Amino acid sequence: MTSGRDTILSRVRSALAPLPRRAPLPDWESELVVMRQARGAVDPWTLFAERLRGVNGTPLTSAGELITLLDRGGWRHGYCDPQVWPKLAAAFPTSFTVETMFDRARVDEFQFGITRASAAIAETGTLVLTDDGTASRLAALAPWVHIAVLARADIFTDVPQAVAALPKDPNVIWVTGPSKTADVEGILIEGVHGPGVQVALLID
Amino acid sequence: MDLTQRVLPGPDKRVQLMATCLCDAFYDDAARATVEVLEYLGCNVEFPDGQTCCGQPAFNGGDWPASRKVVRHTLQVFAGDLPVVVPSGSCAAMVFHGAPLEFEHEADLPAVQQLARRTWELADFIVHALGVTTWPGRFDGTIALHRACHTRGTKTCEAALALLNSIAGLKVVPVGEVEQCCGFGGTFSVSFPNISTSMGALKLEHVRAAQPDILVSPDMSCMMHLAGLAAREGRPLRTMHLAQILRDALKNGGQL
Amino acid sequence: MAVQPIDQFAKNLRPDTRAAVHDGSKIGHEKRTRLLFDHLPDANRLRVLAGEIKQHVVENLDTYLPQVEAALQANGVKVHWAADATAANEAVLSILRARGATKIVKSKTMVSEETALEPFLRAAGVDCLETDLGEFIVQIAHDHPSHIVKPIIHKNRREIATLFEQNGLGAYNDDPETITRRARAFLRAKYLAADVGLTGANFVSVESGRLVLVTNEGNSRFCLAATKCHIAMVGIEKLVPRDRDLGLFLNLLARSATAQQLTVYTEFINGPKSAAQPDGPEEMHVILVDNGRTTVLASECREILRCIRCGACLNVCPVYRQASGHAYRSVYPGPVGAVLSPLLAGERFPELADLPKASSLCGACNEVCPVNIPIPDLLLRLRAKGKAEGAPLAAAGTPPMGAWALLASQPTAWKAALLGGKLINYLPTKLLPIPALRAWEAKRELPAWRGGAFRSWLKHRKSAGPQEAQKSQNEPTL
Repeated sequence: MTSGRDTILSRVRSALAPLPRRAPLPDWESELVVMRQARGAVDPWTLFAERLRGVNGTPLTSAGELITLLDRGGWRHGYCDPQVWPKLAAAFPTSFTVETMFDRARVDEFQFGITRASAAIAETGTLVLTDDGTASRLAALAPWVHIAVLARADIFTDVPQAVAALPKDPNVIWVTGPSKTADVEGILIEGVHGPGVQVALLID
Repeated sequence: MDLTQRVLPGPDKRVQLMATCLCDAFYDDAARATVEVLEYLGCNVEFPDGQTCCGQPAFNGGDWPASRKVVRHTLQVFAGDLPVVVPSGSCAAMVFHGAPLEFEHEADLPAVQQLARRTWELADFIVHALGVTTWPGRFDGTIALHRACHTRGTKTCEAALALLNSIAGLKVVPVGEVEQCCGFGGTFSVSFPNISTSMGALKLEHVRAAQPDILVSPDMSCMMHLAGLAAREGRPLRTMHLAQILRDALKNGGQL
Repeated sequence: MAVQPIDQFAKNLRPDTRAAVHDGSKIGHEKRTRLLFDHLPDANRLRVLAGEIKQHVVENLDTYLPQVEAALQANGVKVHWAADATAANEAVLSILRARGATKIVKSKTMVSEETALEPFLRAAGVDCLETDLGEFIVQIAHDHPSHIVKPIIHKNRREIATLFEQNGLGAYNDDPETITRRARAFLRAKYLAADVGLTGANFVSVESGRLVLVTNEGNSRFCLAATKCHIAMVGIEKLVPRDRDLGLFLNLLARSATAQQLTVYTEFINGPKSAAQPDGPEEMHVILVDNGRTTVLASECREILRCIRCGACLNVCPVYRQASGHAYRSVYPGPVGAVLSPLLAGERFPELADLPKASSLCGACNEVCPVNIPIPDLLLRLRAKGKAEGAPLAAAGTPPMGAWALLASQPTAWKAALLGGKLINYLPTKLLPIPALRAWEAKRELPAWRGGAFRSWLKHRKSAGPQEAQKSQNEPTL
């Protein structure tokens, strides 16, 4: 009995055999896919923040702003990456409950999740999360509010740069704004399976 | 087919005219205007008398053997090396794109490609072969240019707009959803009558919203469909071929 | 005269469905165009380039498939090969059986629609749940998706609210936000209880074995955050040669599909989760699926294998806008479907031989295609195939061309017909038993027959000289 592999590869070979020549692989300049607005951008954070707002995300530059946002939303129970918590703990009033272990059995108790962003892409307002750099995949996804903590030095200008720097990590995810759908009559609804509020918090 | 490598007219500006079957049967004045415009530009226009049709109906219908029979006839009729000018983006595209496709595995492909390289749609020929980019004379009125689908990927509409915009007294108004087809599509118009006429109705809505006096096209086939629909609705639409506008502008300006 | 099924479907389509499909498509197309051309310096150059890269991949699959297999394996992925739909479904089932898994959550994948995975698994006692909101609604409605990226473009909120009520998802409420929140709550529990997450793939890089998934809702991410095993069903044409090519394709895909720069989630999966990561699959399988693709590869329509499933050709297509996706009676609707579906059908080509006819050949699909597929040329080739094979559905409604070809290759007969055709001006054309004429006349006037008038003018002026001809211009000819 021939395996699926042999069957498919032999079909592929016989399908291609009659071709007099094969189409060559063209090379291309990265410049071609960089959006006009990203060319000669002065400050990556400024561009990033503008583009993040464009996809209904929220760029913040201080823990104080974050507390205000969470407080206004009534989101007082959340998760924080244990590596990040020491930097933020002082800013959180005692009215907040913040855990540093994400318990999937109580997934809906967590109203916000604070994780690290490994990088960001300015031209698209994208946050980059990785398996090694993000303490819990679920913590960045299940709570209504996701806060990714970002360092200024980690912001790429454009998509080709970010692709060129894809880490060896088994899982890299680019997050561009809150989770959304337009499946019902084309109407935009945010917060489908993932966060309805996507925050990038710049910490230098 | 690479349209940048086409045969240009010689110093004597001799050209062959492919009048198209629609002009032969219905729209004689569009063909006549084409001759008058080309002659005004100093061309020596030859009309090979044996010409019939470009072969497109059967090509689109899937009957390639029947289509190739007609294309082979066309190859004979248009023998030689003169540029061939066609007052139809669709028939021109059949010659320089469709025919090479259906002759891919035929021994006479080189002959098809030779004719393909010689074939020009009228506006494209005027602007890009003869280098004429502005048009004299006068035409008082507001027109809309229908972007005939088979001119996609060619410079026809760009050329037509350049000429029209340069005519004194003429105002060109834009039409909404210009990339949408009028619904003609050759035999599609009769094999898919419901969809075809619904598409036509949408196109008419956009045209009427633009309020032109005349709808102008580099192709009479789309005009046959739209004018036919409009007439049946009892709200006639005035249509003209691009060549007729150019010719009438010359007449109004005393150049003809 | 036999009618074309797609034309008939369009005629019978509910007006509100037609309006939803038409308007949704139109808005999608217009937003896409603005975004592509506002953002990028030379969007058309990109389309051509992306097409060349995918054509290269398609024509070098014999080299790339073994390479990508090795790259995936190096990432710790188990690779399976499925020659057809049955093999693909059985591969999924055997992975489930080996793990004792009975519950899977599924992110939208067109390949699994092709193989009808869900009914297959259901029959095998596996609970298989769609998690994309649109696909979930399709599933509980026992319906089929009608668009590649907008599966329920044909449904309105009232139908959905009724469905939710019937399925115990709350009292009738047709507010889209409420519908979405209810699905969120219902599906969340399902993710967390599931054994396996099943996805497709938008791209796989041969260079690194990176599998790329793009979604907006976050459902595929949830599948890969909540379950311990990931199965990806991947069509063999989904490869890109280098990681850097992803930068090009991602820029084109989201803009073409949903008028976004990037979708909300773009996930690059290089194997099972890392040791330090508490969530996500410890085991990952990729099933490389042929299911007719090698038949397409052997055909003269192999360019269609470049397709990256963005749906832009559906959105711009005037026929799709009138007919809706279900008119195409297959997994892939619209222009891409009219090429792909009859070819993937293999020996059942005649059953779908009418699909390539459902086009005015206007070429808008090619103009928007992010991989520059010459769709009209491929439709034409399939029309020729349908005609050559004598498929009745291909012939329906198309006037026979034999007599016309004979006439059009004999100038004497042609000229006589031009003159004789004048008769039509005096006949009650609406009553003539010529099907094509009746189809035309049903809603359109015919112009007056002026056969031979141009030739007569030309002849007259040649003999009389141009000046004379000028004078005779308004005289009746013939």
